[in-house]
Amino acid sequence: MAELLEIPFVQNALIGGVILAVLLSVLSLFIYLKNWSFINVGISHAAFGGLAVGFYLGLSPTVFGIIFAVATGLLIGYISRKGDIHEDISIGILFSMSMAFGVIVITLSPNYNTDLFTFLFGNILTISKGDIILLGGFSVFALGFIAAFFNKIMYCCYNEEVAYVSGINTPFYYYSLITIIAIATVLSVKLVGVILASAMMILPAAMANQIFWHYRKILVFSVFFSILMVVAGIFISFQYDLPSGATIVLLYSALFSISVLTKKLIGKAG
Amino acid sequence: MSPILRMENLTVKLGGRVIIENINLRINRQEIVAIVGPNGGGKTTLIKTALGLITPTEGTVEILGTTPEKAIKTGKIGYLPQKTDIPRNFPFSVLDVVLLGLVNSGLSRKEKLEKAKKYLSYVGMGGLEDHPYGRLSGGQQQRVSIARVLVSDPEIIFLDEPSTGIDVVAQESFYDFLKKLRDEKGITVVMVSHDIGVVGKFVDKVAGLNRFLHYYGHPRDFFQRHVLEKLYGTDVELIIHSPECVACEHFHSDFRK
Ligand SMILES: Nc1ncnc2c1ncn2[C@@H]1O[C@H](COP(=O)(O)OP(=O)(O)O)[C@@H](O)[C@H]1O
Ligand SMILES: [Mg+2]
Repeated sequence: MAELLEIPFVQNALIGGVILAVLLSVLSLFIYLKNWSFINVGISHAAFGGLAVGFYLGLSPTVFGIIFAVATGLLIGYISRKGDIHEDISIGILFSMSMAFGVIVITLSPNYNTDLFTFLFGNILTISKGDIILLGGFSVFALGFIAAFFNKIMYCCYNEEVAYVSGINTPFYYYSLITIIAIATVLSVKLVGVILASAMMILPAAMANQIFWHYRKILVFSVFFSILMVVAGIFISFQYDLPSGATIVLLYSALFSISVLTKKLIGKAG
Repeated sequence: MSPILRMENLTVKLGGRVIIENINLRINRQEIVAIVGPNGGGKTTLIKTALGLITPTEGTVEILGTTPEKAIKTGKIGYLPQKTDIPRNFPFSVLDVVLLGLVNSGLSRKEKLEKAKKYLSYVGMGGLEDHPYGRLSGGQQQRVSIARVLVSDPEIIFLDEPSTGIDVVAQESFYDFLKKLRDEKGITVVMVSHDIGVVGKFVDKVAGLNRFLHYYGHPRDFFQRHVLEKLYGTDVELIIHSPECVACEHFHSDFRK
């Protein structure tokens, strides 16, 4: 284990992984409070479509991924706010379309096997210094935004209509959060892949709320355990030559199951 | 004095259906107004339109002398929505909920805490600050929400079925509490209620809404068979003889006349 730490790409993986763990677990609080897991899954599928297009055109997959993810996120957000069509159906159609489109585009390009797999499930070995700088810079911005407007965002999570009547600019916070979630999804691609990124944004707060009821504790617990899971996942995946993203998400799911079971048992006893 | 809320020729369509039609309403400062009517009659829609949460299809709303969009920016409007089920593990404490009402206040953290605690005692929930909001009974949650509404010193408050979860005995003291707010703080109260009998005793004006505003005025003249029949249709007998109709003495005597 100690010798693993000396390998530069392991170091990069760990640094990138910890930053991502913090960012995604903080976002998970809002996704959990707003019941946004469906929006989140939609965004991750759309991000895949964008990455594929960028890859095919020989241009930056990240940039295209972000454009697709943000556009889809905002559209889903808009539709579900207006509530004209049943939101599940519209989101389902949107993200299936983008995903299918991405698969076809990727299939048309040479070398598609490896890249398809990387976009979907991540490949931690490919994390570069540049990726870390991008991820770090964005995380500082996103977490700074959330910290600066925390009380107002929480008010929107409590009840958006009540917050609006109190003079809070609710559409601004709503669309800002969706944009941040969309970009974070795309920046997760190398570590866990776009599909599994949504698990890292759904599970932490849901798990924490099994054990703690107050949002401050949920936040602290989510961040702490995400870091633990990501670091453990990276080591296990290196040690046994497993895909990093899937390993991390399996660890999350295992912990989630344990926390639900524990709660059930304690609940029965007490 | 100009009214604090004025609706003129207001019509709202939702999903292609007319929900409320041609509403003309003026509410004066320091009045307690109850909006009553059958389920689905458009009471919530009327309130949401007054608050700018729903844009009217036709007509105008003027609140605090301006449009709802501008009026909400003053922070002088309080809103208690119709109760929804809150999960037991809802991650806010009682104090957190009240503090939300002070998000835009510009007070220091310490001042906010003091004020929030003061209003919690005011609604009889002092000492429960750190309690999980989701674990309270329905009536207790409503009281905490009312503290959240009042803590921002509003000039007008909209309460959508505030007595849900409050038992009939406690309701009387709840309405006395609203009167105290009106008299001591000069607050205008617009509330939706199902229990027309109780309401008749306490409020300054009754608005009977069932798509149209069938009645608006003093509760005295509201309790007449032709008014109630217009509002509730064939259900009128049910309403009159329901156990909720606690204050139906003056109501039945009107009928005998
Ligand atoms: N967004 C909406 N789209 C279509 N119809 C709606 C919408 N909101 C409410 N309605 C309908 O408007 C009618 C009045 O609803 P509401 O104002 O909630 O009545 P009340 O509060 O008096 O029970 C109901 O029939 C309801 O189904
Ligand atoms: Mg209603």
